[in-house]
Amino acid sequence: MKTVGIPRSLFYYYYKDLWEDFFNALNISYIVSPKTNNLIMNKGLKIADSEMCLSLKNYLGHIDYLKDKCDYILVPRISNFKNDNQTCTNFWAAYDIIKNLFDIKILNYNIDLEKGQTLKKGLYKIGKTLNKKPFQIKRAYKYAITKEKKRLKKNHQINQNKLKLKKTKILLVGHPYNLYDELIGKDIIKYLIKNNIEIIYSDKFNPKITGPLSKKISKDLYFKYSKDNLGAIIYCQNQINGLIFISSFPCAPDSLANELAMRKIKIPYLNLVIDDSTSFTGIETRLESFLDMLGGKLND
Amino acid sequence: MKDCYLGVDIGSISTKGVIIDENNNIITKAYIWTEGNPTNAVRKLLDILKQKLPKDFQIKGIGTTGSARKLIGLMLKASVVKNEITAHAIGTLTFYPNVRTILEIGGQDSKIILIKNGIITNYAMNTLCAAGTGSFLSSQAKRLGIDVEKFGDYALKSKNPVKIAARCTVFAESDLVHKAQVGYPKEDIIAGLCKSVVLNYLNNVGKGKKIVGPIIFQGGVSKNKGVVKYFKEILNEDIIVDENSHLMGAIGIAVLAKKNKTGHTYSLEMKNIKFQTKAFECHRCPNSCELLKIYRNNELVDSWGSKCGKY
Repeated sequence: MKTVGIPRSLFYYYYKDLWEDFFNALNISYIVSPKTNNLIMNKGLKIADSEMCLSLKNYLGHIDYLKDKCDYILVPRISNFKNDNQTCTNFWAAYDIIKNLFDIKILNYNIDLEKGQTLKKGLYKIGKTLNKKPFQIKRAYKYAITKEKKRLKKNHQINQNKLKLKKTKILLVGHPYNLYDELIGKDIIKYLIKNNIEIIYSDKFNPKITGPLSKKISKDLYFKYSKDNLGAIIYCQNQINGLIFISSFPCAPDSLANELAMRKIKIPYLNLVIDDSTSFTGIETRLESFLDMLGGKLND
Repeated sequence: MKDCYLGVDIGSISTKGVIIDENNNIITKAYIWTEGNPTNAVRKLLDILKQKLPKDFQIKGIGTTGSARKLIGLMLKASVVKNEITAHAIGTLTFYPNVRTILEIGGQDSKIILIKNGIITNYAMNTLCAAGTGSFLSSQAKRLGIDVEKFGDYALKSKNPVKIAARCTVFAESDLVHKAQVGYPKEDIIAGLCKSVVLNYLNNVGKGKKIVGPIIFQGGVSKNKGVVKYFKEILNEDIIVDENSHLMGAIGIAVLAKKNKTGHTYSLEMKNIKFQTKAFECHRCPNSCELLKIYRNNELVDSWGSKCGKY
């Protein structure tokens, strides 16, 4: 029986549940790399080119961890979702970068809606590579995609409920692979929760609703994930106390999205850029003062 | 005996101390260089303050702020430990209740604080990059062989400031070297440098922020008359620089210490207190956390840096 390795970084945070449901339904065994730790990150930093963004460096560290622990490593190429919805270049290039840097077997599929390469075709390809019968793949795909749609709806509902709460609410804007990563965003989330803040995650909204709203900030932006993030800001800007924009250094789409939002949004705004040299002391100073400001504590 | 309150602001470049009375009047103050050793700097600072403080005052509260606030907070057993943005805003509001914008440039940080009706409405702080802050100015002063305190006077002499890239200090520095090598006079280069600090500030932390008067400029760099001049010119607004503009953080934290009384009386005597930090790396898991243990009189008071919370 072949084992598939899933790096816990980048794509994982968009597709983890879908992939796991799909593999479980097909009875394929898989392993996920552990939560990022310093060993993984440092390995990634060593392998990576200095110009790559922190998140991609981290991804390489996870691949390195998995390279001799499984038969295949799952590395998709996600290029675009049609109609001016491109992903960042790292999502295009990940497959080629990995192929050049590592001597491993890669399990790959493409998402390129402009060329008609859909998620469905992608997962069918994977099933076929792993020697599954078409009827099995069809059943597994249906099972995974139904659950995924339900999950999307539920997450959106949870966020909407949170927006109605009377607590201090902060919209955390960023890519899920940064927000939920153990070394990149986790400390920030922990700090906010400790201070009794209700966190609303930008990636948990339904992109079909938030994506088009980004037009209010920019009509020309063509990065899908940035559009979703900006849309989420527009969607809830009147119901939150402030927003924190987290990005990894030097993320190109984020540097653009952040500038656009910062100039057009009129609520308290904090931008945090995370790099491998970042100590939490600097971040803590910014978070603490940001919360002081939202709480209006100056006057007591 | 009269009550008074001590505020200590330990920045990357300088350490500031202020003692205020019940009515926020400054009784004594001190300003020294940190020189990379915050605990030593604070010992020196307290010695100076102790000599200056009249005998009929007793200290009823201590607050610390600045980048070494936690460490020094433990050392002095401070009653309040707060970030410098809040401290600066409170200090300024104590003397200028009508202020709308605070521009602040310190040793490694720069920030802008927007205030409406005495409440902070928004602020921004430089991100990863320390471009255009005090440490850049002092390193360039060393290169030009001039005391950084005299920068302002040189800048005011110039009629024709050179153009220096304002985005990034690495580019700024190569611009600077180039301009010096082709023979521009020192005062024009220094004036250009001061102008680039202003442009850099407005492009980085000031972007998208509406700057309305009254504007107060503070932090160590506010003592530089050249930078003040270019802020005035570029913003086309009057810029207020308080005589104690470099001490506002310390004043703010002293005001906070006054508000958070513990009833305890503090001493400025630090000679008998042994304060040590020990650093080591834990190898129990792949995270390899860098840990720092802090001892006060050989007793472990805190340890930092652990991800799992074991220490």
